[in-house]
Amino acid sequence: MDTAQKEVLFGLYDDEEVLLDAVKKAKGDHLEIMDVYSPFPVHGLDPALGLEESRLHIAGFIYGAIGTLFAFGFMTWVFTRDWPIIFGGKPYWSVPAFIPITFELTVLFASIGMTVTFFTICGMWPGVKNPTLDDRITDDKFCIAFQTNGQSKAEIDRLKSFLQETGASEVNTKVI
Amino acid sequence: MNQFTFESKQKTVLFGFMGLGLLCLLLAFFLDSQPFHVRFWTNFLHNTVFFTGIGFISLFIYAAFITSWAGWYTQFKRVLESMSMFMVPGLILLLVVIAGLWAGWHELYHWADTEEVAKDAVLQGKSGFLNKGWYTIGTLAIVGIWIYFAMRLRSLSLAEDQNGGVDFAHHRTMRRWAAAFLPIAGFSSAAVIWQWMMSIDAHWYSTLYAWYTGASWFVAGTAMVILFLIYLKSKGYYESVKEDHLHDLGKYVFAISIFWTYLWFSQYMLIWYANVGEETSYFQTRMHDYPVLFYGNLILNFVLPFFILMRNDTKRKYGTLVLVSILVILGHWLDFFQMIKPGALDTAIHAAGAHGGEHIAGAGGHGDHGAFLMGFTIPGLLELGTMLGFAAFFVYMVFARLEKVSLEPVNDPYMAESAHHHV
Repeated sequence: MDTAQKEVLFGLYDDEEVLLDAVKKAKGDHLEIMDVYSPFPVHGLDPALGLEESRLHIAGFIYGAIGTLFAFGFMTWVFTRDWPIIFGGKPYWSVPAFIPITFELTVLFASIGMTVTFFTICGMWPGVKNPTLDDRITDDKFCIAFQTNGQSKAEIDRLKSFLQETGASEVNTKVI
Repeated sequence: MNQFTFESKQKTVLFGFMGLGLLCLLLAFFLDSQPFHVRFWTNFLHNTVFFTGIGFISLFIYAAFITSWAGWYTQFKRVLESMSMFMVPGLILLLVVIAGLWAGWHELYHWADTEEVAKDAVLQGKSGFLNKGWYTIGTLAIVGIWIYFAMRLRSLSLAEDQNGGVDFAHHRTMRRWAAAFLPIAGFSSAAVIWQWMMSIDAHWYSTLYAWYTGASWFVAGTAMVILFLIYLKSKGYYESVKEDHLHDLGKYVFAISIFWTYLWFSQYMLIWYANVGEETSYFQTRMHDYPVLFYGNLILNFVLPFFILMRNDTKRKYGTLVLVSILVILGHWLDFFQMIKPGALDTAIHAAGAHGGEHIAGAGGHGDHGAFLMGFTIPGLLELGTMLGFAAFFVYMVFARLEKVSLEPVNDPYMAESAHHHV
């Protein structure tokens, strides 16, 4: 994680449609957006920001497949090699009886694996510093933030006027 | 283009396939070596129940969408309405089965044979429900109620086009009808599924059977909607229906395929575990005499849709969606085949043995395990031809309905939401 202090210039918007138009305009003007904050997922924001599709589901598939193989293989080993017991007159290798547990472990491996992967990628472990730019972006405000470290006053003014022109109701700065 | 034209070329092709289906039915009737024309009657019942069920489930899906305030499907709701109206010809086809039941034209149902019931304690115990009267009244009343609801929703939806206002009175009324239909459909569909299909294996029963059959209809019905939409799009209609809508329909095929598998497995595992003879006989027959269908069923209806539709982009591409839709429709049709054929063949052979003595045909009877018999243990060309004929009939009825009004509704409050649907 980047621990250096960030100087941030950010604009707060009242409406997600206005925000979406502003993000598209910023892309057109080649302004480098640091991040966009919203209290809820905004449809079309990801492609507008140029974010690529998450690859988390591929990891999820791999974890799930590991869970399937582990559960089925382990039960096969236990009931045919390690400790064969006859239950209810069924054969040692009773595939239908293994299916529910195989299913459960597939789900368990996939869900825990994806959670751990997600937290690791996002650096969201206990003790993480999580400064907010403004408390209202968790409530009813939408925010576009620019990092302004080492930028000239002219550049910062350009960003400021961009935020005001695109309909930001407030423009603030904060060091986080 | 908001007005569908049923071209004469399409009519010619569909009539051709319907003729093929009729020819296959007649050939099955006259060429069958089995007693009581069992091949003809099972093919007839199989396709009638399959396609009438798809009509029913379209209405169920439609009612569920209305009740849950869904807006994304609104642009193509005419397709669901038109599909649900197939229940009308479906009921007429079922009347043929009912007529055969009273006139003794067929031996589909073991419980309908009074001589057999007289010496069978199990069938006597079930005769309060499994009798000709209930079969007739149940089918007429239940399918009649479904048709009534389908016509109500359809006429309200059309009236909304004509004079729907901003008070959305039509939509409110539709929501009441749709909500009332859901519990009625849930309970009544189980009753007719028991009578039409499960009672073919009259000694056997499964409490999961109705759900399982309903899930089959659901997958096949959703796949049918996808095929209709992609076909209509390819003809230049429904330009505003985008891959986002098809993505959601693909999710339905994916999800309900898994749900179907869950029910298939639950039914199988409980019977396998309990190991009660009167229950296991159902799967014993199917696993030993119908191995291709038994395992192919799982591959077609679970493994293939699961792995093909798992990725995001396969649900958004027409090629993969069409492929999976055809696979699952064929898969669930084959599933119905192996649900209906073994019991009906058994009943016919028993009845022939009891009544006529020497009439039992050699192939397909007991003691001939593992041998494939066209039309009984695997579908033959006549079965495939019959299916194509019924499918053409279904498509014809849907197109004839679609032609009557505009393809997209005008005053539906959810039109804008549907147009901006984004996954």
